[in-house]
Amino acid sequence: MSGWDGFLHGLSVALQPGVLIYCVLGVVLGTFVGVLPGIGAMATISLLLPITYYLSPEAALIMLAGVYYGSQYGGAVASILLRLPGTPQSAVTTLDGYPLAQQGRAGVALFTSMISSFLGSFFGIFVLILLSGVLSRAATAFGAADYAAMMLLGLVAASTIGAKHPAKGFAMVVLGLILGCVGTDVNSGEQRFTFGQTELMDGVNLVALAMGLFGVAEVIANIHVAERTGVPRRIALRELLPSRAELRRIPFPALRGASLGSFFGALPGTGSTISSFLAYAAERRISRHPERFGNGAIEGVAGPEAANNAAAISAFVPTLTLGIPGDPIMALMLGALVIHGVQPGPLMLAERPDMFWGLIASFGIGNLLLLVLNLPLIGIWVSMLRIPFRWLYPAILIFVCLGVYSVRGSSFDIFAVALIGAIGYALSLARFNPALLLLGFVLGPLIETNLRRALLISRGDPMVFLHRPIAAAFVLATAALLAMSLLQAIRRKSRGPDRVASVNGEAE
Amino acid sequence: MTITRRAAFMGAAALTLCKPAFAQAAWPTKPLRTFVGFPAGSSPDLLARIVTDPLATALGQPIVIENKPGAGGVIGIQQMLNAKDKDYTFGTTINGPMTTAPRLMPNLGYDVATDIMPIVLVATSPLVLVVAADFPANDLAGFIAAAGKEPEALSYGSVGKGSGAHLTAELFSDRAGVEMLHVPFTSYAPVTTAIIGHEIDAGFMAPSAAMQYVKAGTLKILGITSQKPFAQAPGVPVMAGQAGLPADFRAELWNAFIAPTGTDPAIIKTLNTDINTILADGAVQKRLEDMGWQAAGGTPEDLQQRIAQDTKIWGAVLDRIDAKN
Repeated sequence: MSGWDGFLHGLSVALQPGVLIYCVLGVVLGTFVGVLPGIGAMATISLLLPITYYLSPEAALIMLAGVYYGSQYGGAVASILLRLPGTPQSAVTTLDGYPLAQQGRAGVALFTSMISSFLGSFFGIFVLILLSGVLSRAATAFGAADYAAMMLLGLVAASTIGAKHPAKGFAMVVLGLILGCVGTDVNSGEQRFTFGQTELMDGVNLVALAMGLFGVAEVIANIHVAERTGVPRRIALRELLPSRAELRRIPFPALRGASLGSFFGALPGTGSTISSFLAYAAERRISRHPERFGNGAIEGVAGPEAANNAAAISAFVPTLTLGIPGDPIMALMLGALVIHGVQPGPLMLAERPDMFWGLIASFGIGNLLLLVLNLPLIGIWVSMLRIPFRWLYPAILIFVCLGVYSVRGSSFDIFAVALIGAIGYALSLARFNPALLLLGFVLGPLIETNLRRALLISRGDPMVFLHRPIAAAFVLATAALLAMSLLQAIRRKSRGPDRVASVNGEAE
Repeated sequence: MTITRRAAFMGAAALTLCKPAFAQAAWPTKPLRTFVGFPAGSSPDLLARIVTDPLATALGQPIVIENKPGAGGVIGIQQMLNAKDKDYTFGTTINGPMTTAPRLMPNLGYDVATDIMPIVLVATSPLVLVVAADFPANDLAGFIAAAGKEPEALSYGSVGKGSGAHLTAELFSDRAGVEMLHVPFTSYAPVTTAIIGHEIDAGFMAPSAAMQYVKAGTLKILGITSQKPFAQAPGVPVMAGQAGLPADFRAELWNAFIAPTGTDPAIIKTLNTDINTILADGAVQKRLEDMGWQAAGGTPEDLQQRIAQDTKIWGAVLDRIDAKN
């Protein structure tokens, strides 16, 4: 079955009333749990899992998938309005989304993120239809050396995000790498930096880290602030929408982000995180006004949002066609399929075309629904900002605790989030960028295990990184990027201190 | 009068004395909690639910699954032991936390022999030895010959030091007299990808995880670690007694119900009987088989014995691994 025939066949599955209703249910639920800080797709899907026993496998998968990509839309709302990202991907959205909201332009930021998410998803769907065969081969073509090199590129490229003060950005990445070392070493089974705590054996909880660094730190920072400024009392519809000039700045960043997302999303692991950071770094690099980034650049919202939504779509390719889940949520969805006696893997496309193409078609329907659902909601989301702090912030803390606890039912993680929140506040006082810490934290362990695995397999020969074509390409790209940054730095220095001062002044 | 009063008193006393016995007969009077050391949707979680759903019906009380994932299932057991709700707290566990964890984790926090009461063995799963479809050898003897050419001629993937896949491969190497290079991964999926992509040569994994790839023509299976052929892996030869391996060669993962020490023995007996009945049901066996597991059952003592046996076998393998490093 070719891609298009498959898609049309899938539509006939996904549009059956008994299936469609679960798609609607999934995306609506996803949007709302995505908005609630900390309570993300993961917790929702695990709660819904027992219910799916009673559904057809198609309906079950389509509903759970709806929660997954629906929560990406909702997650952007929390990141933009409240600086509460639940995942490293949405942490990138806070970089420019939150400044926009602080300038009273929350509506514009939300509109941008929703349109970009929609564009990204549809781009992802088209890529999937046209290239599902190629994408599924990509995952087996990538070996340990290739992954290590790819993640190195991601780390180096994204480290320049906080280039206002490169040293500070670098410090955050390194701190993230160190935190990523906590836990059981895969190769030796030894425990590193766990201080005898069984709870730390699997490492620091990512959700606790994200919630602490952003959410809790933000709450602490606002304790001494009387009320929010810059939120208009009454919001006219026109103020929610971007101006024509701003509108023009959405499509190209969104398309670039979506292409990055579609490619990296198909690679199991952290495709989605890497693509968001790369999309942001790329927009910043090609922009004629890089100084706008971090201060409310539309492109800084559009690129990463399109990237993570495209990645959310293409992440289903390895999950379904290889049975290789890219992240814990995908693993949960595999579990849901196994309950129904469906074993995702290489035979999925041939044996269960209804399910595979029905799911793909439901992505289209679901994303259309999400756009229709979310655009009118922008006004309501923005008016959330008018909730007085004394109500909003305690509520946020409660949701953060619920969300962190829901990950693995551990009260240890609640204390961890409190401690991390305090550290996050200290970091924000010193103007460090916690998004980079998250990046280092996520990529560090992956680079390490893949590097060590690559060297183990090559029996210790480091040339493996140059002999494998994919790895070599990433290593060269990384080297080129470093050389470029170095050249730029040297040129800037030779232009004299005045110029540097003015650039910094603009950026501050 | 006196007699009547005494009789009444005696009657009241008898009633009071009987009270615990009545309460016992009425057990359970409230929902039970079952701790699972793995996340919702994982295979130990699904196994637990297959048993607890009919068990709840049999007992007339709901059973709440508490997923406390982490540290290879150890956190679930620690949490079960921390729960103070005697007679209403149980757990399901895989073999690791009962057999090898005490060796691998210095800060385990429990002693299997004194803190755990076995209830029943629920299911077992053998492992299969897989290689890429174009691997030169087609049987176990050919594989052992290729592995024996020189130390570390072949590499295999596992899901980390001390995992079932690692220990099984080391037990196999020891019995076959070969040395293979161990390449640890974090889960089975990337091990499969690495074998298909020819990064590593082999790996031990659950039959259900491998069969798909066999059908798709990307992997082939050279043998199975159970003593008897396995329904989920039709036509796969048993490794024991083949190609120079001893006849008692066996490596199985298992899943069991346990309780904290101090649980009423009568309750353990009730649960054991009920779960054995559930496991004898053809529909339950079919569901387990679909997931790649074989229903087990037996007495608490059988499980106790299994724990002791496996602790010894895997302890010896761990000794060998430690001696090598």
